[in-house]
Amino acid sequence: MAPILLVLIALLVGDQITGPELVFWLAFTVIVLGALGTVLIPNIVHAALALIAALLGVAGIYVLLAAEFIALVQVMVYGGGVVLLIIFGLMMTNAQDDPLVTDGSQKPFALLVALLLGGVFVAAALDAQWGAETVSVIPFRDFGARLFRDFMVPVIIVGVLLDIALTGGIVNARPPLHADAESEGGAG
Amino acid sequence: MIPLENFLILSGILFAIGLYGVMARRSAILILMSVELMLAGVSINFVAFATYLDGDAFSGMVFALFVITVAAAEVGLALGIVLRLFRERRTAYVDAADSLKW
Repeated sequence: MAPILLVLIALLVGDQITGPELVFWLAFTVIVLGALGTVLIPNIVHAALALIAALLGVAGIYVLLAAEFIALVQVMVYGGGVVLLIIFGLMMTNAQDDPLVTDGSQKPFALLVALLLGGVFVAAALDAQWGAETVSVIPFRDFGARLFRDFMVPVIIVGVLLDIALTGGIVNARPPLHADAESEGGAG
Repeated sequence: MIPLENFLILSGILFAIGLYGVMARRSAILILMSVELMLAGVSINFVAFATYLDGDAFSGMVFALFVITVAAAEVGLALGIVLRLFRERRTAYVDAADSLKW
Protein backbone atom coordinates (compact mmCIF):
# COMPACT_ATOMS: atom_id res chain seq x y z
CA MET A 1 0.00 0.00 0.00
CA ALA A 2 2.53 2.60 1.15
CA PRO A 3 4.86 2.40 -1.88
CA ILE A 4 1.89 2.69 -4.22
CA LEU A 5 0.65 5.74 -2.31
CA LEU A 6 4.11 7.31 -2.53
CA VAL A 7 4.28 6.68 -6.27
CA LEU A 8 0.81 8.18 -6.73
CA ILE A 9 1.68 11.27 -4.68
CA ALA A 10 4.87 11.71 -6.70
CA LEU A 11 2.84 11.55 -9.90
CA LEU A 12 0.36 14.07 -8.46
CA VAL A 13 3.11 16.51 -7.52
CA GLY A 14 4.65 16.05 -10.94
CA ASP A 15 1.28 16.94 -12.56
CA GLN A 16 1.05 13.56 -14.24
CA ILE A 17 -2.31 12.72 -12.65
CA THR A 18 -5.08 14.78 -11.10
CA GLY A 19 -6.49 14.49 -7.59
CA PRO A 20 -9.54 12.39 -8.55
CA GLU A 21 -7.29 10.03 -10.49
CA LEU A 22 -5.08 9.59 -7.43
CA VAL A 23 -8.16 8.70 -5.37
CA PHE A 24 -9.32 6.31 -8.08
CA TRP A 25 -6.04 4.42 -8.32
CA LEU A 26 -5.72 4.30 -4.55
CA ALA A 27 -9.24 2.84 -4.24
CA PHE A 28 -8.47 0.51 -7.16
CA THR A 29 -5.42 -0.84 -5.31
CA VAL A 30 -7.31 -1.26 -2.05
CA ILE A 31 -10.22 -3.03 -3.76
CA VAL A 32 -8.14 -5.42 -5.85
CA LEU A 33 -5.76 -6.31 -3.01
CA GLY A 34 -8.66 -6.71 -0.57
CA ALA A 35 -10.60 -8.89 -3.00
CA LEU A 36 -7.54 -11.06 -3.71
CA GLY A 37 -7.00 -11.37 0.04
CA THR A 38 -10.61 -12.41 0.52
CA VAL A 39 -10.37 -15.27 -1.95
CA LEU A 40 -6.75 -16.35 -1.30
CA ILE A 41 -5.95 -16.03 2.43
CA PRO A 42 -6.33 -19.39 4.19
CA ASN A 43 -7.07 -17.86 7.61
CA ILE A 44 -10.80 -17.22 7.54
CA VAL A 45 -10.77 -14.25 9.95
CA HIS A 46 -8.04 -12.48 7.98
CA ALA A 47 -10.09 -13.08 4.83
CA ALA A 48 -13.05 -11.33 6.51
CA LEU A 49 -10.81 -8.34 7.37
CA ALA A 50 -9.65 -8.18 3.73
CA LEU A 51 -13.31 -8.18 2.70
CA ILE A 52 -13.90 -5.09 4.88
CA ALA A 53 -11.02 -3.31 3.13
CA ALA A 54 -12.40 -4.17 -0.30
CA LEU A 55 -15.94 -3.02 0.56
CA LEU A 56 -14.74 0.28 2.05
CA GLY A 57 -12.69 0.82 -1.11
CA VAL A 58 -15.90 0.35 -3.09
CA ALA A 59 -17.48 3.08 -0.93
CA GLY A 60 -14.59 5.35 -1.99
CA ILE A 61 -15.39 4.59 -5.64
CA TYR A 62 -19.02 5.60 -5.02
CA VAL A 63 -17.91 8.93 -3.57
CA LEU A 64 -15.78 9.44 -6.68
CA LEU A 65 -18.86 8.75 -8.81
CA ALA A 66 -20.79 11.49 -6.95
CA ALA A 67 -23.13 8.96 -5.34
CA GLU A 68 -22.63 10.03 -1.73
CA PHE A 69 -25.81 8.41 -0.49
CA ILE A 70 -24.88 5.01 -1.92
CA ALA A 71 -21.41 5.41 -0.39
CA LEU A 72 -22.90 6.09 3.05
CA VAL A 73 -25.26 3.13 2.73
CA GLN A 74 -22.34 0.97 1.62
CA VAL A 75 -20.28 1.90 4.68
CA MET A 76 -23.18 1.42 7.09
CA VAL A 77 -24.73 -1.75 5.66
CA TYR A 78 -21.60 -3.55 4.44
CA GLY A 79 -18.85 -2.17 6.65
CA GLY A 80 -21.13 -2.41 9.66
CA GLY A 81 -23.93 -4.91 9.33
CA VAL A 82 -22.97 -7.52 6.76
CA VAL A 83 -19.37 -7.96 7.87
CA LEU A 84 -20.47 -8.11 11.51
CA LEU A 85 -22.96 -10.86 10.63
CA ILE A 86 -20.28 -12.76 8.72
CA ILE A 87 -17.82 -12.53 11.61
CA PHE A 88 -20.50 -13.75 14.02
CA GLY A 89 -21.14 -16.62 11.64
CA LEU A 90 -17.41 -17.44 11.70
CA MET A 91 -17.41 -17.38 15.49
CA MET A 92 -20.31 -19.80 15.70
CA THR A 93 -19.17 -22.26 13.06
CA ASN A 94 -15.38 -22.41 13.36
CA ALA A 95 -14.84 -21.75 17.04
CA GLN A 96 -13.50 -25.15 18.02
CA ASP A 97 -11.84 -25.78 14.68
CA ASP A 98 -8.64 -24.44 13.30
CA PRO A 99 -9.38 -21.06 11.67
CA LEU A 100 -7.42 -22.23 8.65
CA VAL A 101 -9.56 -23.64 5.87
CA THR A 102 -8.47 -25.68 2.88
CA ASP A 103 -9.74 -24.98 -0.57
CA GLY A 104 -11.08 -27.52 -2.98
CA SER A 105 -9.11 -29.34 -5.65
CA GLN A 106 -10.99 -27.40 -8.34
CA LYS A 107 -8.67 -24.38 -7.94
CA PRO A 108 -6.95 -24.51 -11.37
CA PHE A 109 -10.28 -24.83 -13.13
CA ALA A 110 -11.73 -21.94 -11.12
CA LEU A 111 -8.67 -19.81 -11.93
CA LEU A 112 -9.03 -20.56 -15.64
CA VAL A 113 -12.73 -19.65 -15.71
CA ALA A 114 -12.20 -16.47 -13.69
CA LEU A 115 -9.32 -15.36 -15.93
CA LEU A 116 -11.34 -16.02 -19.08
CA LEU A 117 -14.40 -14.18 -17.77
CA GLY A 118 -12.34 -11.25 -16.48
CA GLY A 119 -10.53 -11.06 -19.82
CA VAL A 120 -13.86 -10.95 -21.66
CA PHE A 121 -15.12 -8.17 -19.37
CA VAL A 122 -12.00 -6.05 -19.75
CA ALA A 123 -11.83 -6.54 -23.51
CA ALA A 124 -15.52 -5.72 -23.90
CA ALA A 125 -15.25 -2.59 -21.74
CA LEU A 126 -12.27 -1.36 -23.76
CA ASP A 127 -13.91 -2.17 -27.08
CA ALA A 128 -17.40 -0.76 -26.54
CA GLN A 129 -18.44 2.65 -27.80
CA TRP A 130 -20.52 4.56 -25.26
CA GLY A 131 -22.53 7.69 -25.89
CA ALA A 132 -21.43 11.15 -24.88
CA GLU A 133 -20.33 11.17 -21.26
CA THR A 134 -22.35 13.53 -19.11
CA VAL A 135 -21.58 13.71 -15.42
CA SER A 136 -24.87 14.20 -13.62
CA VAL A 137 -25.40 14.40 -9.89
CA ILE A 138 -28.53 13.95 -7.81
CA PRO A 139 -28.68 15.91 -4.55
CA PHE A 140 -29.49 14.08 -1.32
CA ARG A 141 -32.90 15.69 -0.89
CA ASP A 142 -34.08 14.87 -4.42
CA PHE A 143 -32.81 11.33 -4.09
CA GLY A 144 -34.98 10.58 -1.06
CA ALA A 145 -38.05 12.35 -2.46
CA ARG A 146 -37.84 10.61 -5.81
CA LEU A 147 -37.03 7.23 -4.28
CA PHE A 148 -40.29 7.25 -2.33
CA ARG A 149 -42.31 8.83 -5.14
CA ASP A 150 -41.17 6.98 -8.29
CA PHE A 151 -40.07 3.70 -6.71
CA MET A 152 -42.60 3.32 -3.92
CA VAL A 153 -43.79 -0.18 -4.87
CA PRO A 154 -40.26 -1.62 -5.22
CA VAL A 155 -39.34 -0.09 -1.86
CA ILE A 156 -42.33 -1.79 -0.22
CA ILE A 157 -41.53 -5.08 -1.95
CA VAL A 158 -37.91 -4.91 -0.80
CA GLY A 159 -39.08 -4.15 2.73
CA VAL A 160 -41.35 -7.21 2.74
CA LEU A 161 -38.53 -9.30 1.25
CA LEU A 162 -36.13 -8.17 3.99
CA ASP A 163 -38.73 -9.00 6.65
CA ILE A 164 -39.38 -12.47 5.23
CA ALA A 165 -35.68 -13.24 4.77
CA LEU A 166 -34.66 -12.20 8.27
CA THR A 167 -37.61 -14.01 9.85
CA GLY A 168 -36.63 -17.10 7.89
CA GLY A 169 -33.04 -16.70 9.05
CA ILE A 170 -34.12 -16.56 12.69
CA VAL A 171 -36.43 -19.56 12.32
CA ASN A 172 -33.63 -21.51 10.63
CA ALA A 173 -30.90 -20.61 13.10
CA ARG A 174 -32.89 -20.98 16.34
CA PRO A 175 -31.92 -24.00 18.43
CA PRO A 176 -34.55 -26.74 18.27
CA LEU A 177 -37.16 -26.64 21.01
CA HIS A 178 -37.72 -29.70 23.22
CA ALA A 179 -40.94 -30.70 21.50
CA ASP A 180 -39.29 -30.34 18.10
CA ALA A 181 -36.30 -32.41 19.14
CA GLU A 182 -38.51 -35.22 20.41
CA SER A 183 -40.70 -35.30 17.33
CA GLU A 184 -37.64 -35.16 15.07
CA GLY A 185 -36.04 -37.98 17.03
CA GLY A 186 -39.25 -40.00 16.82
CA ALA A 187 -39.60 -39.41 13.10
CA GLY A 188 -35.95 -40.08 12.37
CA MET B 1 -12.08 13.36 -15.69
CA ILE B 2 -11.67 9.65 -15.15
CA PRO B 3 -12.87 7.70 -18.19
CA LEU B 4 -15.87 5.42 -17.78
CA GLU B 5 -13.78 2.44 -18.92
CA ASN B 6 -11.70 2.56 -15.74
CA PHE B 7 -14.75 1.88 -13.59
CA LEU B 8 -15.98 -0.85 -15.92
CA ILE B 9 -12.59 -2.60 -15.84
CA LEU B 10 -12.48 -2.33 -12.04
CA SER B 11 -15.92 -3.88 -11.73
CA GLY B 12 -15.01 -6.63 -14.19
CA ILE B 13 -11.87 -7.50 -12.21
CA LEU B 14 -13.84 -7.49 -8.95
CA PHE B 15 -16.51 -9.76 -10.41
CA ALA B 16 -13.91 -12.20 -11.77
CA ILE B 17 -12.09 -12.37 -8.42
CA GLY B 18 -15.39 -13.02 -6.66
CA LEU B 19 -16.25 -15.74 -9.17
CA TYR B 20 -12.90 -17.40 -8.52
CA GLY B 21 -13.64 -17.34 -4.80
CA VAL B 22 -17.10 -18.86 -5.28
CA MET B 23 -15.66 -21.72 -7.31
CA ALA B 24 -12.43 -22.36 -5.39
CA ARG B 25 -13.49 -22.04 -1.74
CA ARG B 26 -15.04 -24.85 0.26
CA SER B 27 -16.25 -23.02 3.37
CA ALA B 28 -19.82 -21.77 2.94
CA ILE B 29 -19.04 -18.48 4.69
CA LEU B 30 -16.09 -17.77 2.40
CA ILE B 31 -18.32 -18.46 -0.59
CA LEU B 32 -20.80 -15.96 0.83
CA MET B 33 -18.02 -13.37 1.15
CA SER B 34 -17.02 -13.95 -2.47
CA VAL B 35 -20.64 -13.44 -3.55
CA GLU B 36 -20.53 -10.09 -1.76
CA LEU B 37 -17.50 -9.14 -3.88
CA MET B 38 -19.39 -10.03 -7.06
CA LEU B 39 -22.39 -7.93 -5.97
CA ALA B 40 -20.11 -4.99 -5.19
CA GLY B 41 -18.67 -5.21 -8.71
CA VAL B 42 -22.16 -5.14 -10.22
CA SER B 43 -23.13 -2.13 -8.08
CA ILE B 44 -20.07 -0.20 -9.25
CA ASN B 45 -21.22 -0.82 -12.81
CA PHE B 46 -24.74 0.44 -12.08
CA VAL B 47 -23.54 3.63 -10.40
CA ALA B 48 -20.88 4.31 -13.04
CA PHE B 49 -23.41 4.03 -15.88
CA ALA B 50 -25.92 6.16 -13.95
CA THR B 51 -23.42 8.95 -13.37
CA TYR B 52 -21.74 8.94 -16.77
CA LEU B 53 -24.38 8.02 -19.33
CA ASP B 54 -27.82 8.64 -17.81
CA GLY B 55 -28.64 12.32 -17.84
CA ASP B 56 -30.95 11.70 -14.91
CA ALA B 57 -28.52 9.57 -12.84
CA PHE B 58 -31.31 8.12 -10.74
CA SER B 59 -32.33 4.63 -11.88
CA GLY B 60 -28.84 3.16 -11.60
CA MET B 61 -28.41 4.44 -8.07
CA VAL B 62 -31.76 2.98 -7.04
CA PHE B 63 -30.64 -0.35 -8.49
CA ALA B 64 -27.40 -0.15 -6.47
CA LEU B 65 -29.43 0.63 -3.35
CA PHE B 66 -31.68 -2.39 -3.94
CA VAL B 67 -28.68 -4.62 -4.61
CA ILE B 68 -27.24 -3.62 -1.22
CA THR B 69 -30.58 -4.24 0.51
CA VAL B 70 -31.11 -7.65 -1.06
CA ALA B 71 -27.50 -8.59 -0.27
CA ALA B 72 -28.13 -7.79 3.40
CA ALA B 73 -31.24 -9.99 3.40
CA GLU B 74 -29.33 -12.75 1.62
CA VAL B 75 -26.49 -12.68 4.15
CA GLY B 76 -28.91 -12.93 7.08
CA LEU B 77 -30.77 -15.86 5.57
CA ALA B 78 -27.64 -17.67 4.35
CA LEU B 79 -25.96 -17.42 7.75
CA GLY B 80 -29.06 -18.94 9.35
CA ILE B 81 -28.78 -21.84 6.94
CA VAL B 82 -25.03 -22.20 7.59
CA LEU B 83 -25.64 -22.28 11.35
CA ARG B 84 -28.30 -24.95 10.88
CA LEU B 85 -25.96 -26.96 8.66
CA PHE B 86 -23.17 -26.65 11.21
CA ARG B 87 -25.42 -27.83 14.03
CA GLU B 88 -26.56 -30.90 12.13
CA ARG B 89 -23.30 -31.83 10.36
CA ARG B 90 -20.56 -30.19 12.50
CA THR B 91 -19.05 -28.67 9.38
CA ALA B 92 -19.41 -25.53 7.29
CA TYR B 93 -17.88 -27.00 4.14
CA VAL B 94 -20.27 -27.12 1.22
CA ASP B 95 -18.86 -30.39 -0.13
CA ALA B 96 -19.71 -32.09 3.16
CA ALA B 97 -23.42 -31.28 2.71
CA ASP B 98 -24.12 -33.96 0.12
CA SER B 99 -26.86 -36.04 1.72
CA LEU B 100 -28.59 -36.41 -1.65
CA LYS B 101 -25.59 -38.70 -2.40
CA TRP B 102 -26.80 -41.20 0.24
